Amino acid sequence: MPFLLKEKEANMKENVTSTTIFLLLLFLNTNLLNGQSAPGKPKIEKCRSPEKETFTCWWKPGSDGGTAANYTLFYRKEGESLTHECPDYKTGGPYSCYFNKKHTSIWMIYIIWVNATNQMGRSMSEPHYVDVTYIVEPDPPLNLTLEVKQSEDRKSYLLLKWSPPALVDVRSGWLTLQYELRLKPEKAPEWETHFAGQQTQFKIFSLYPGQKYLVEVRCKPDHGSWSQWSPENSIVIPSDIKMKDTTVWIFVAILSSVVCLIMVWTMALKGYSMITCLLPPVPGPKIKGFDTHLLEKGKSEELLSALGCQGFPPTSDREDLLVEYLEVDDSEDQQLMPTYEKDHPSQGRKPTQLDPDNDSGRGSCDSPSLLSEKCEEPRIPAPTFTIPEVNEKPDDPGTNVTHNWDPQGINFKGKNPYFNALGSKSSTWPIPQQSSNHSLRCSYHNIADICKVALGTVNGPTVSLGKEENHALNYPTTIDTGGEETTDKQNELGHFHSNVDQGTTWLLPNEKMPFMSPRPMDYVEIHKVNKDGALSLLPKQKESNGNTEQASAPDSSKEYAKVSRVMDNNILVLMQDPRAQTRVIFEESAKESPQPLQHNQAEKNLSYCTFPPGDCRLQTGNTTE
Amino acid sequence: MCPKGSSVKGSLLLLLLMSSQLLSRSVESLPICPSGAVNCQVSLSDLFDRAVMLSHYIHSLSSEMFNEFDERYAQGRGFITKAINSCHTSSLSTPEDKEQAQQIRHEDLLNLVLRVLRSWNEPLYHLVTEVRSMQEAPDTILLKAMEIEEQNKRLLEGMEKIVGQVHPGDRENEVYSVWSGLPSLQMADEDTRLFAFYNLLHCLRRDSHKIDNYLKLLKCRLIHDSNC
Repeated sequence: MPFLLKEKEANMKENVTSTTIFLLLLFLNTNLLNGQSAPGKPKIEKCRSPEKETFTCWWKPGSDGGTAANYTLFYRKEGESLTHECPDYKTGGPYSCYFNKKHTSIWMIYIIWVNATNQMGRSMSEPHYVDVTYIVEPDPPLNLTLEVKQSEDRKSYLLLKWSPPALVDVRSGWLTLQYELRLKPEKAPEWETHFAGQQTQFKIFSLYPGQKYLVEVRCKPDHGSWSQWSPENSIVIPSDIKMKDTTVWIFVAILSSVVCLIMVWTMALKGYSMITCLLPPVPGPKIKGFDTHLLEKGKSEELLSALGCQGFPPTSDREDLLVEYLEVDDSEDQQLMPTYEKDHPSQGRKPTQLDPDNDSGRGSCDSPSLLSEKCEEPRIPAPTFTIPEVNEKPDDPGTNVTHNWDPQGINFKGKNPYFNALGSKSSTWPIPQQSSNHSLRCSYHNIADICKVALGTVNGPTVSLGKEENHALNYPTTIDTGGEETTDKQNELGHFHSNVDQGTTWLLPNEKMPFMSPRPMDYVEIHKVNKDGALSLLPKQKESNGNTEQASAPDSSKEYAKVSRVMDNNILVLMQDPRAQTRVIFEESAKESPQPLQHNQAEKNLSYCTFPPGDCRLQTGNTTE
Repeated sequence: MCPKGSSVKGSLLLLLLMSSQLLSRSVESLPICPSGAVNCQVSLSDLFDRAVMLSHYIHSLSSEMFNEFDERYAQGRGFITKAINSCHTSSLSTPEDKEQAQQIRHEDLLNLVLRVLRSWNEPLYHLVTEVRSMQEAPDTILLKAMEIEEQNKRLLEGMEKIVGQVHPGDRENEVYSVWSGLPSLQMADEDTRLFAFYNLLHCLRRDSHKIDNYLKLLKCRLIHDSNC
């Protein structure tokens, strides 16, 4: 019997256990079907105050909150121990708590939490610490208006106006707001932002006419967060409004085009002169006295003669023209100075021996005996012609006169520029005053003035060289035109000096001599002087400038004079070249006039050239012999 | 006096002036009246403009300093939970919302501002000293602390001038709250020390905001007749 009791107890225990399990399962199933559980832990998300006078907090329900959970919010303030519940669950929307002004304290920490309860249980959120001071975020500004206006000087601009949000108390200074706006053309991707400070209006310039612009504005309290952007406002800029920039650009464009046109026109008209002003042409090389046209013609002789290279280079046909050498005594009295400076005329002239090898063709009238006492005569009476240092002054014309025409010894410095130039450079005669006193003139083309001066005081029949003079005078000018010399006479004489080197010519008196036939002058030049002191004479070369007198003479052959004898008073007697067809003046004069008189006359008429220390007497003599 | 000496003095003076200008940084430190001037009278409006400028600047610096410290040292330590009712100036009965601030008389409000400013002289001094000695403190916090200390003195001078103009006769005794947080700043325990700093910076941020707000209210009330 006890065995059966034990079995009954076990059965009953099993029944109870299974029932309990069954009931539990049933209960659980029932719960699952109903969806009920303890609410999840809520979380306070955000608290915000729009004006620093009230604030609102929002929370989020827990993850498995399900439905029908009651949320309650409690808070405690700093410095108080009481716990309060949220005064307003509705104003802020679901899951929010709104604290009105009475319940809001500034500069105080609020400790807030949310309780969620349902049938199954409740849960509590983490406490949230919040100070209203630092959660201020105002509403966006209101009443944004756009208007296109024009200022006094016809400038158009866009005027923006707005007002602060409704709740913010700016007037008492409780909150200080700063504004910011942004605008863009309707279809532009980026906004253009402008900070407006504390003002409630803004002007925008330089907008494109005809475009539609969108504008928004927002605000920020002095120590809070930015508000949201206000609702968009738009405006279309009228097309007929002239913005200032366009007018300015049109004006600038017109002005620049006008300036360009003027410049182009000026360049067209005066382009060449401007170019020459900017880029002056490079001057070509020029040689003084060099006439390029002569090169083209191919007449080298004329060309060289233009340069003053008389008789240079000595050509072979010149040999025909050579006459017998002049025999000159080599005594100390007679110091024939046929030698010239072979080199530069600037060398001082010293009495030197005749240099027979001098081949430079210098034909300066340096043969001393060419001049007779006639030379002396003009000297003495000439008021301006003083030769104080001349060693010997011949008193008697015709006598043996030796003159040391050392030009360096003669002091004419202040009197004549020619002399100054010549005295240091050449063996030419010193020159007293010029033309006004001249009666006899020696018109060597290269030392014309010298000779003029020297003869100038001759009281005898004047030899006006006339054309030869002109020719001689013209000569330097031709030289000068070739170069760029001034018309300074010294420069002319410089040319003369070079000419002296090259060759001087005898210029014979022209037709103005009363006893002379009116025939054009022929010129003879001393071609060379040989060892023995013989002079070889050459006709004077035709001038490059084509002197008319000279030009008229080419048909007539040149006459030459060769020295027939030397008279005892160191006078050279020249005779005509037997081959010559025409006659030189000397010849004619010798024929026509009594000999001695003719000699004298001829001597007078002759121009003479200086020999450097030597005598300056040359005389054309009778050539009949 | 030889010219050289006077020129040297002049240049030194110029250098000094320039350096003082540079130190003033973003706040213009224009002297209101040259020192020694007796009859110098600056308008109340200018005084308030200057004061509001200074108070705004001080609060900006304090807010930056606090945020920097909070991000750097106070994360996860729950300092905020302990910094409840821990400011030494909470004994001063200051208005706590706009209505209270608008109801208080401007003289009392001015005196209150003065008290708060004076209460912070010593803590600021120690703050600079202790931050300087803190090796791990970044330079920015130190520089801001030094600047706040400097500007606080200036603001105090300006407020005293304003009080002298607004109600000169009512010269109260110098009342202020005493700060006793120095030992905490010098604690060896890092956690304690850091919380002391945190608390100090937290209270500084709050009080500077209070002063700024009060002055702006006073300015709009007294200068602009409540129509800012």
